[in-house]
Amino acid sequence: MAELKLNIELHTKYWKRCLKSVLPTGYSSNDSSRMTLGFFILSALDVLDQHKKLLSEKERADIRDWILRCQHPSGGFCGSTNHRFPDEYYVDVGQGKELMDPANLAATYFAILALTYVGDLSQVRRRDCLKWLQTLQRDDGSFGELVTTNGTIEGGRDMRYCYIATAIRWMLVGDQISKEELKDDIDVDKLVEHLRSGQTYDGGISESSQHESHAGYTYCAIASLQFLGRLPDPSKISYSDSLTSPNLINVPDIVHWLVSRQVGYHAEDHDGETVSQKRPGPSEQLSLDQLSLQDSECVGINGRCNKPVDTCYVFWVGASLDIVGRSNLIDRNPIRRFLLEETQHQIGGFGQFPGKPPDIYHSYLALAILAIWKEPGLKSFDPALCVSAEQREKINAQRSIALVPTRTYWKHGYSFSIKEDDPNFEKAMAESEDAPDLAGDTSTFSQAVKT
Amino acid sequence: MGRYEGNPVWDDVVPIPQEEGEGALAQIAYTDEYVEAMGYLRAVMAAKEHSPRVLDLTEHVISLNAAHYTVWLYRASTILALDIPIDKELEWMNEVALENQKNYQIWTHRQTLIDHIFPTLSSDPAAAQAFADAESAFMAEMFEEDAKNYHVWGHRQYIVRKFNLFDSDAELKSIEALLHEDVRNNSAWSHRFFLVFSNPAYTTAGSRATEHDPKIPDAMIDRELAFAQAAAHEAPQNQSAWEYIRGVLRKGGRELATLEGFAGEFVRIPEGGEEDIRSSHALDFLADAWSEKGELDKADMALRLLGEKYDRIRKNYWDWKRGLLRGAKV
Repeated sequence: MAELKLNIELHTKYWKRCLKSVLPTGYSSNDSSRMTLGFFILSALDVLDQHKKLLSEKERADIRDWILRCQHPSGGFCGSTNHRFPDEYYVDVGQGKELMDPANLAATYFAILALTYVGDLSQVRRRDCLKWLQTLQRDDGSFGELVTTNGTIEGGRDMRYCYIATAIRWMLVGDQISKEELKDDIDVDKLVEHLRSGQTYDGGISESSQHESHAGYTYCAIASLQFLGRLPDPSKISYSDSLTSPNLINVPDIVHWLVSRQVGYHAEDHDGETVSQKRPGPSEQLSLDQLSLQDSECVGINGRCNKPVDTCYVFWVGASLDIVGRSNLIDRNPIRRFLLEETQHQIGGFGQFPGKPPDIYHSYLALAILAIWKEPGLKSFDPALCVSAEQREKINAQRSIALVPTRTYWKHGYSFSIKEDDPNFEKAMAESEDAPDLAGDTSTFSQAVKT
Repeated sequence: MGRYEGNPVWDDVVPIPQEEGEGALAQIAYTDEYVEAMGYLRAVMAAKEHSPRVLDLTEHVISLNAAHYTVWLYRASTILALDIPIDKELEWMNEVALENQKNYQIWTHRQTLIDHIFPTLSSDPAAAQAFADAESAFMAEMFEEDAKNYHVWGHRQYIVRKFNLFDSDAELKSIEALLHEDVRNNSAWSHRFFLVFSNPAYTTAGSRATEHDPKIPDAMIDRELAFAQAAAHEAPQNQSAWEYIRGVLRKGGRELATLEGFAGEFVRIPEGGEEDIRSSHALDFLADAWSEKGELDKADMALRLLGEKYDRIRKNYWDWKRGLLRGAKV
């Protein structure tokens, strides 16, 4: 069989088209998650190592402005400019500003990530964002996707929100929070309790232990626990763990569930129909067809037991195994073959399953898992933050900068911000004028103009 | 002239345009219809207008972008403000749900409205029953399109809890019917597990799916084991049934070895002869049962057979388990 190779040039073309041309009208139903699409585009080009070549300074600045335009005045970000009102609508109503269209959790995560490609974390209103994040947490430790003016937390119970909340908290250094900020932090213990209680009877994880386990939710819970530093030590797994099952996250059972997601894929069985919907025929009892007796050339991955295979689950399952340090428990070659031969599209990108046209979401996650598996031509990849390892390092460096407090000094009646680690900090503070008296109805600006 | 601009009904509203700026990220080729509807939506939201025309507008926006996370909230508050009968809204929602199988906002919207009328509904048992029946009928319709739709199963749990259908014969029967249709429907198995092991009448409150619950009557454990064993006989290579069996044993605090004989029906390993294996899951089950009893050589043999012959796709995993079995460093 011919050697398979990821066609870097073809995929670069695909992502360049997503970056430079307008997405087709069909994407309108994704308008509210444009920030997500935008992040996928920037990050894919980074993983392909094309990011710097393709974006001019002007384009980077435009993109940065667009992301920041989606920042909500009360903290967090909106999913697209269609959710962001002009500034004058967010008027102060006594107990804070009018919310209009509230900030959205997923949009916030992807906006912050996207910003790190074209700007940096200092442009995020960090304190406001962490305060807002805290208001999204429910009493049971879980998170909603938005909070309304009257304080109602909206959005279903969904492990994705927990993952996003922990990742935002990590990026905005909520994990190294100062005493002063501690009161604004989320309740980590409650969240951990919630994450751990999501494991179901078959070892996978769902939104709660009563629901059906799902690869996406399993990934989200595992990655969240990693961000919070609460994942059980994978090196201390023993055989009997999986037999006695404590009511905490049981890694052997998760691993069993994750490896069970692999399904031998034979193109001739899949003429567009989903697998195993039909009742077994009477001969099935005696048939060995369903046993994996031969080596499969091509292996797909499903997201739930007895469901058809799908490109994105290669990521959710493969990245989960990587985070718990068990990537070696699957044979990557036949899975890679499934992606490259069956779902990779001739115009670049990947489709959801064989025969489907490429879309941004599946194309990104396919690249992501191939990068985790060290595909030549792709940057190495961080499975939990879902960006290149290099980008995670960059974000990590920006995190420490964000922690340096900013102070205000006054000069000629104007206020200026300065970071405490600025070489001119001491001097600026020493020379600072007293803050002007803001009482009365004239603004500092008009006072300055008058004098 | 658009649908709103120049329309006398909307004459008094000045749309709020989108501030997109230049060089935006992930630009979409919006239709003029979409751009106009969004401008009017922002305007009515800014004015906090809740009126019948707002219902039409939100319906229009939803038809163009059902994943718009705030239009649903705005619609719900409009319905409550106008005191619109909920059944009319449910009827409309049924159609939207059938057209948008993957949308999840619609289910949150549905539950917001059900929560709102529930206090009234619950004071009239007959009305509550009729309501729950209508929900079940609608979900059955959704299942005809996709019997594993995650959102619908989530809603089903919500309805079971809300209307306390744990002891409902109809609920259990309808799950059995779905499993009769497709014995590999893992969503239906999962719902059954919830129905049986979260029933407040005889389970410990808050007991997780992975825990032994001593309050569960033995007869219930026996009933569930018999049900799942019959399903495993029907389709021996159906993992759903085997996982269910393990889950039930754990709930009942019983050892895997108590079903060694049953699993052995799918696995014959005569000494010196050719083995006859009809289910890799049975072999997996026996490996754990034997390990539990301390019969490590037998367990190791089962794991070896899995990796080398009967479940080669997971060879690395079975080898790893063999290593764990020997307590070897991995």
